[in-house]
Amino acid sequence: METEYGPGRTIPHPVLFRLLDAEADDTTIPEIKVEHPSEYAYYPGCIDYYDQEMQFSHMNYGDTNHGIIFDSSIKLLRAVGIEPMILDRSFMKCCGHDQLWQGKVDVFKKMRDYNTTIIQKLGVKTLVTSCAEGYRTFRLDYKLPGVRVVHITQILYERGLRIPPQGDGGKKIRVAYQDPCRSCRQMPVGAVYEEPRELIKRVDTAELVELKTFRADAQCCGVAQMMYCNDKTKGITAKRMDEATEVGADYLLTACPKCLTHFGCLHHENKWKPGGERYAYRVMDITQFLAERLPGDYPTGGNVDLRRKETPAPGRRG
Amino acid sequence: MEIERVKAKVLEGRPGFPLQYGPQRADHQPGIPFWPQEATRDFVVISILVAIMFFLSAYVTPLLGPARSPQLSELIVPDWYLLFSWGLLKIADIFPQFVIGDGTPLETRFDAAFWGDILSGIPVIFLLLLPFLDRGREARPAKAPFRSALGISFLIVWIFFASLYSIREVVAERWQTPDIDPGPLSTATALIPDDTMKLFFIVPPVLVFFGSYVALRRLGYQHMRRWLVPLCSLGAIGVAAHSLAILLVPGWLTPLAEPYRLELVVFLAILSLSSILAALAVLRLPETKARKAVLLVGAVALAAFLGGFLYLDRTNPTGLLFILAVLYPNMNTLLFLPPFVIVTAWLGLRRPYSSYEFLLNECYQCGKCHTVCPVTKVEDDALGGLNLVYNTFKKQHDGVPLWTCLACDACSAVCPLDIKYSDYILEERAKSQGRLAADGGKEA
Repeated sequence: METEYGPGRTIPHPVLFRLLDAEADDTTIPEIKVEHPSEYAYYPGCIDYYDQEMQFSHMNYGDTNHGIIFDSSIKLLRAVGIEPMILDRSFMKCCGHDQLWQGKVDVFKKMRDYNTTIIQKLGVKTLVTSCAEGYRTFRLDYKLPGVRVVHITQILYERGLRIPPQGDGGKKIRVAYQDPCRSCRQMPVGAVYEEPRELIKRVDTAELVELKTFRADAQCCGVAQMMYCNDKTKGITAKRMDEATEVGADYLLTACPKCLTHFGCLHHENKWKPGGERYAYRVMDITQFLAERLPGDYPTGGNVDLRRKETPAPGRRG
Repeated sequence: MEIERVKAKVLEGRPGFPLQYGPQRADHQPGIPFWPQEATRDFVVISILVAIMFFLSAYVTPLLGPARSPQLSELIVPDWYLLFSWGLLKIADIFPQFVIGDGTPLETRFDAAFWGDILSGIPVIFLLLLPFLDRGREARPAKAPFRSALGISFLIVWIFFASLYSIREVVAERWQTPDIDPGPLSTATALIPDDTMKLFFIVPPVLVFFGSYVALRRLGYQHMRRWLVPLCSLGAIGVAAHSLAILLVPGWLTPLAEPYRLELVVFLAILSLSSILAALAVLRLPETKARKAVLLVGAVALAAFLGGFLYLDRTNPTGLLFILAVLYPNMNTLLFLPPFVIVTAWLGLRRPYSSYEFLLNECYQCGKCHTVCPVTKVEDDALGGLNLVYNTFKKQHDGVPLWTCLACDACSAVCPLDIKYSDYILEERAKSQGRLAADGGKEA
């Protein structure tokens, strides 16, 4: 399919979403093996899938790493004394957020019923998600009686995550936080505004700067629910990233893998412009930012694709 | 002119939209001040009305006729708009009457006149208390169900029955039970006895209050089941208890109606069963089925009731009269409650076909959502007229506003009416996909 923008600009990749829809049809419950049975469950969601999808859609040749969110989350949860039960995709399905917002309510309902069955079967008391969309979907669109759904920043803040001193008292790094719409202004209850900011403030070398629009007024990252990627949506992303440039941020953090995807994509594209680097800051998930500041290695030794360490070809299209 | 200045200010920047938004905006749009413009106009209007009244009373005196006298045992009634007050004065003798400090200078008489005055003041007291009872800022009835239901039941129903009570003699004379005794003396009694008319001050306003409350809450699309369940259950239990009391408590069934016990049981069963079945439908069935079931029960009960009447009228007119003589004095629950239970359940179970169309109807097109919408900042035709919210609202879309929306909810964050536009997007997209699906979206 040759589109106006080339095949790489069409996300979600139709084949991937067909795969997800087909997967939702199969509701047989497989054998469930969990390493650490616990009343705390961590649902990584599709972050491990994203790297594949981005590769598949020829989107991501930059240094955006979604898999690291999983490792960082486990590391952070262990740091506050929680050994979570990991609800991975070997027996869980997508939370169904994208399907719901694309209007495929029937697919969403299948996924919801399946996931609800498994969550209740495993006896989960607290469900931790590291992504804003999962948080919203489990909390608002699912019916999980007796299960407390929290965003990871909430439980880290609540359990008192301590970041050890980072050493030098030199120049502080300026950290900006992008409020994802799903966990913030779309949540009538339990909007996550304060917790990420408080966690960032606990890093002694970090200085929290607010973007031009923040909290409930925060501007959109440009692409919600993986609907489009075109020049218009890129314009919105560029506006948002320009705001971070204006405040002179060193890090642009977010709590939503989709924001991360699109920020990372544009960040990478603008690295290879003839005029030089437009966005002189790093883009990462807040869990990665916090986990980097904790001592010790990642639980799985870092989920980094070796191929990514090679310099991507400039301006390569799919 | 003021309005020109305001227009010039508002229209600067983009057509139709102010440059600034938010609570700190400087381009505040002033209206017409109360003083002196509004006050002057009102004063002129009042002066003209007073002048007309003076003119009429001086030159066109109405012929009032001779004054009526209570000694002539005529029925004395005031003008229609004061009937309710007259009715309240008439009912005032149900209150205890006593005197405090008799014979002292501080003697206070709590007599019927005193209680009548107090009762007549209740509408005024009620109006004074209203702002403290319901402190919501919503003005439309569906959004302020408590206030509106209280208003309907109290100011309309209560005052209507108070007015009716003021002409209780007319009512008693006009509607009477049939003279069924073959003897020479008339045994006809008032169809609505005085005690029943006194109960009208309490029962219908309370029923209308609950009915209006349920209906208005439903109009506002809020969950009604937990209100319906106690309401309909209590109604059904009340009717059943009343029916059993008529049949079983000695003295309730008049001796003349004794031979027609079987027919009476049938009528009581129709009334009781209809309300019990409606209550059970509310309790047990899912919402859509319950609604149909309630409607069916109501229709069948009505048909059975009327059919029973017609059948008895053909075959046994005397028996019908005796049954009526039992049913009518007990009409407080037996005739009022079953239809009330059915209508309440039916109204409360109404299912809106699209709630968000209703919610979007609240939009008064202030344009704040357009101002903050990030999509319109980058789309080519943003200055030309692509307004996501407005175009979707007016259904002027070929799918572009619906599918271009990011559902980032920036519009809902600034909406002064808290319209959740993203919820609307969810629903519309689901409908759109449902139309594409093979089964027409029935499964979803």
